Amino acid sequence: MTSIGEQASLKKVVELGAQKRRRKRVPVLEFLVFTLPLLIFLGILYGTLLWNFYVSVANWVSTAADYTFVGFKWYTYLFHQARFWTNVQNNLKWLILGVVPTAVAAIFLAYLLELAPFRGVESYVRTLILYPVAMSFVVTGTIWSWMYQPEKGVFNSILQSIGIHSSLRFTNDPQTATYWLIVIFIWQYLGFSVIIIQSSFRTTELQEMIEAALVDGASRLRILFAVIIPNIRSGLLVLVSLLLISSLKVFDIVWIVTRGGPGVATDVLATNMIVTAYDQRLASAGAAIGVIIFLMAFILVIPYTLYAFKKWFE
Amino acid sequence: MRTRSTTLKVIVIVVLVVLSCAYLLPIYVMITNSLKTLPEVTQRTFLALPKLPQIQNYRDALFGSRTFLIPMLKPIINSSIITASVTFLAAFFGGLGGYYLSRAKAKFTQVLFILVGIALYMPYQAVIVPLTTITAKTGLINSHLGLILCYLIINVPLASVLMGTFFLGIPRELEEAAEVDGASKVQTFFEIVVPISLPAYASVAIIIFTQVWNEFFIGLTLVTPRTQTVQVAMAMTEGSTISPYNLQMAASLLTVGVPLLAFLFLGRYFIRGVLAGALKG
Repeated sequence: MTSIGEQASLKKVVELGAQKRRRKRVPVLEFLVFTLPLLIFLGILYGTLLWNFYVSVANWVSTAADYTFVGFKWYTYLFHQARFWTNVQNNLKWLILGVVPTAVAAIFLAYLLELAPFRGVESYVRTLILYPVAMSFVVTGTIWSWMYQPEKGVFNSILQSIGIHSSLRFTNDPQTATYWLIVIFIWQYLGFSVIIIQSSFRTTELQEMIEAALVDGASRLRILFAVIIPNIRSGLLVLVSLLLISSLKVFDIVWIVTRGGPGVATDVLATNMIVTAYDQRLASAGAAIGVIIFLMAFILVIPYTLYAFKKWFE
Repeated sequence: MRTRSTTLKVIVIVVLVVLSCAYLLPIYVMITNSLKTLPEVTQRTFLALPKLPQIQNYRDALFGSRTFLIPMLKPIINSSIITASVTFLAAFFGGLGGYYLSRAKAKFTQVLFILVGIALYMPYQAVIVPLTTITAKTGLINSHLGLILCYLIINVPLASVLMGTFFLGIPRELEEAAEVDGASKVQTFFEIVVPISLPAYASVAIIIFTQVWNEFFIGLTLVTPRTQTVQVAMAMTEGSTISPYNLQMAASLLTVGVPLLAFLFLGRYFIRGVLAGALKG
C-alpha cells in the first residue's frame, strides 16, 4: 500500500500527463465529436454517388448485379430512345414554366402585400397560400387528379353546374397534360416563394430607397421595376435556384397524377428512371439517368452554392 | 408603404378572391367529401355540404373496410417511427456539424461546406440504385432502420446548414467567456450554445419532419410491406381505381394531419426554418 502523500503526488503526475495529452489530442477529438456524424453520412452519400456512376458504365441488366465494364453503352442506348428526348423536353418545360411564372407571381404578390390597403390581408394570404407547403405532393396529386378528371372530376362538374359545358380534358390530353401538372407545382410552391421574396424586401437599405423614390414622386409600378427588382437580386437568386432544383427533381406529381401518361406525354427523367431501373430491370441504364439528373442539378446549383459560400465565410 | 388609391384596392380584392378560390377549393372539397357517403360523392355536387357527416369514413380509412383495402393505421405508425427517429438524429448530428461549420474557418471547413452544399440538393435518383443494393444486401430493407439511414444521409447535411445558419447569428462573446473559464468546446456547445438555440432546433425539426413525412421517391423504391410509409400507402389508394373518393379523401386528411397541425400551430418556426434554408444558407 502506498502512503497518502505518495498517492497525492502520483495523482498529480497522472493529471499533468493527462493535461499534456489533452492539449495535444483534444482538438482532434473535439473536431471528431462535432464532425464525425456529418462526415460519415457525407461519405456514404458521395460513396453511393460514385458507385452509381460505376453501375452506369457497367452491364447490369437483370436482378443479379453485374459490374462488367462496358463504357458509355447505356448512355448511347438512352440517347437513341425517343422516350429519353421526350423526358428532356418535358424537364425543360418544367424548368421554365415551373420557375418563371412562380417567381413573377411571387414578386407581384409580395409587393401587393407590402402595399395592401387593408389590415389583416397579409397574415390571411400568408396562411392561405402557405398551407400546401406542409402537404405532400402525393396528397396534392391525389386531390388534383380528382379535380382534373374530365367526366367525374370537380372542375368540369362545377363548370357544368353553373351552365358552362367544358370540354377541357386536363391531364388526359397528351398535348397539354404537362402544363396542367405544372399548375399543381406552382400552386404548391407559390406561398413558399412569396415568403422568400417578402423577406428580401425587408432590408433597411431597400426600405430607405423606396422612401426616397416616393418622395421624388415615382409611381408604384416604377418603384417595383426600377428600385425593388434590381435590389433583391440575391433573394431572387436563392428563389430561382430552389425552384429550378425542385422542378428538375419533380417525380411525385407526375407519378401520382399521370404516371408519365397518356403514353409517355408527361414522362420526365425521374419517372423514366424508376421504370427503367425497377420495372425493366435495366439497373445500368437507370443509373445512367441518375447520373444525368445529378449533372443537371449540379450545374443548376453552382451559382447558389457560390453565393452561399461567400455569405457564409464573409 | 400603405396607400389609399382605388385601383390598388380593386387589384387587391380581385387577387384575394382569386387566391381564396384557388387555395380554399381543394381543401374544402377534400374535407366535405371525406364526410360524405359514396352515393353523395357520385352525385357530383362537389360544393354541397354532406347531409349527415360520416365520421365513420375516418374509421374506415384508418382501419380499412370492405371498400377500402389499405388501412392507414400501420403506415401512419411506420411513418411516425421513421420520421421521429430521422428528425431527432438529424437535428442532433446537424447541430454538431453546423456548429463546426459556423465556427471553424480552416480550408477544410470550406471544402466541407461545398460538399455539404451539393449534398443538400442531391437528387435521390443519383444514389438510389446503390442504396437499394446496400439495404437489400444488409437486410436493413426489412426494418425501419433501412429507411431511417437513407433519410439521414440527405437530412444530416441539410440540418447542418440550417443549424449553422442559426449559430452564425449567435454572438461569440458568451462562448469565449466560457472558454476562458476553461470549458472545452464540447462543454461550451452543450451547456451554452444548445440551450439558447432551442427555438432554432424547433425550426429545423419541423422542416425535417415535414420533408421526411412527405418524402415519396425513396419510400416507393425501398418499401417492403412491413415498412410501408404513409405516402406509399396513399399512392396505392390513388392508383387503385376502385377505392372510393370519400375514403380516399379521409385517408389523405389523416396523412396530412400531423404536418398540417404543426404548420398551423408552429407556423412561426416553420417560416423561420424555410427562410434559414433559403436566404442565409
